[in-house]
Amino acid sequence: MLGTFRRSHGLQALLLLVALAAPAIAGPYWVHVGALAWYYALLAASWALLAGYAGQFSFAHIAFAALGGYGSALLTLRLGLPLALSVPLTVILAMVLGALMGALVLRLSGPYLALFTLAVAEIFRLMLVAEEDVTRGSLGLEVPGLFPGGSDVPYYYLGLGLVLLALLAMNGLLMTRVGLFLRAIREDEHAAQASGVNTTLHKIIVFVTTAGMAALAGTYYGHFVGILSPNMVIIPEMGLVIAMAVIGGIESLPGAVVGAVVVYALSEILREYGEWRFVLLGLALIVVQRFAQNGLFPVVERYLDRRAAPPGKSPVVIENAPNMEGEYAKPS
Amino acid sequence: MPNPPEAYLAARTLHKHFGGIIAVEDFSAELRRGEIVGLIGPNGSGKTTTINLVAGALRPDSGSIMLDGRDIVGMPTYAFARAGVGRTFQVPRLFKRMTVIENLIVPALTDTGTSRRQAEARAREILAFVRFEHLADAYARTLSGGQQKLLELGRALMLRPSLLLLDEPFAGVHPRLLEQIVEHIRMLSSEGYTIVLVDHNLDAVRSVVRRTLVMARGRKIADGPSEEVLQHPAVIHAYTGSRKALEAHP
Repeated sequence: MLGTFRRSHGLQALLLLVALAAPAIAGPYWVHVGALAWYYALLAASWALLAGYAGQFSFAHIAFAALGGYGSALLTLRLGLPLALSVPLTVILAMVLGALMGALVLRLSGPYLALFTLAVAEIFRLMLVAEEDVTRGSLGLEVPGLFPGGSDVPYYYLGLGLVLLALLAMNGLLMTRVGLFLRAIREDEHAAQASGVNTTLHKIIVFVTTAGMAALAGTYYGHFVGILSPNMVIIPEMGLVIAMAVIGGIESLPGAVVGAVVVYALSEILREYGEWRFVLLGLALIVVQRFAQNGLFPVVERYLDRRAAPPGKSPVVIENAPNMEGEYAKPS
Repeated sequence: MPNPPEAYLAARTLHKHFGGIIAVEDFSAELRRGEIVGLIGPNGSGKTTTINLVAGALRPDSGSIMLDGRDIVGMPTYAFARAGVGRTFQVPRLFKRMTVIENLIVPALTDTGTSRRQAEARAREILAFVRFEHLADAYARTLSGGQQKLLELGRALMLRPSLLLLDEPFAGVHPRLLEQIVEHIRMLSSEGYTIVLVDHNLDAVRSVVRRTLVMARGRKIADGPSEEVLQHPAVIHAYTGSRKALEAHP
């Protein structure tokens, strides 16, 4: 609707156009970088839903991505299943395990939840290392590609499509009452229960949804990169996903996507500085946490919308909330 | 002889221990539909634990809680709320990074038969009741302490509760807002809500309720008309620690 169009929407549309046109402008190296960035974007956005909106600080997200990658690869290689079957089966398996984990961590929050999920991720990584006969351990598991030829362009657009679909699905979820309940649980679980919210059900819903998204990301990654190793579950990888979501906007799904692309691109641009680039990214994370706790993208969006507002009538910006015009929030 | 009034809420021999500490012991009380009672007692007497038991936030070690003839012990907390038990907290527990109207529509939307439009319409009614129309889009965290208490009351009302448990609604509230809260509770009582009111402000409690229950050391020590109960030597002793009152009225 024209009446609810804001400059921030224009920015999102512009970024989408840039993403669509990038392969025509950038060289093969940057197309490859972009295709990898979509993997991280899927992870960062789904983790933002889990942690930013629902308040469930899970470190096992990356393990679900590895489950997706290895699951799809093994079903294809060992059982000979077609990709059309192995991918959905792996995502369903991840969602079932996500439900199981959601049920296991029902009474955990904050540092206890973080430690529990960290242990889950580490156990999964060690299983991948130990089960050498199945996973080829640290040698790496070769995974068949999805497209013939050596071009990364099809992967780039597949990744972009998956990110867009994931954003639409997650935003759709957040627009329903489930999204409102998830935010209420994040704010105060006891108050949510006293308000009649079935917190158990909704926590499981968010774990199932995000585990499925992470598994899908892992599947994409495995078939794109062509080799999987237990290193995709190491703690720094999870730290990178968290940094992407936090820098972009932990309570903004598009923000997390932008954060993932910017951080990954920066880590490539700064590659000549070796390990120092991660020091720089760490510093960026600290600065963002200090001055823009909800990430940089919402700050830019707010700035644009404020500039567009008529004098003396600045819009009420609903921080920490998805775009809910006509739903819950009624900005004046 | 007419039949005695049917109990709407009946708590029977509730016990709750935390490790070796007795929080509530042998607590029994009955409330008629539409009745408003005060629940008072010194700090640590077990009032909030009792409220938590009746609201389903805690499960009693033993005893039963009948709401409208149905035993509700063992149900999850959210089911207590959906069964009609609305509550506020000693320290307001709002969804602070959500707007006032979002805070209000959460309970209404837990009823799957309620649409967002209906929930918002009901929220506007509640906003008018607590005189918060102008704050609909404000964040809950920006409200004053008293306003937060009122919003919490409004949120509980969104459940259309048959039983309201108000835990210290007057604590830390500006005197002018306190009058407003008292007035709201009176109105709710006159509309037929069954209310349990816990507070340390005995004057405010007395101005609203006729019947008062007193707890001390986890036990109910008095139950009756407020004026009589507040003069009872055991109550004075519980509050002041003075044995003179007890000795004067053994």
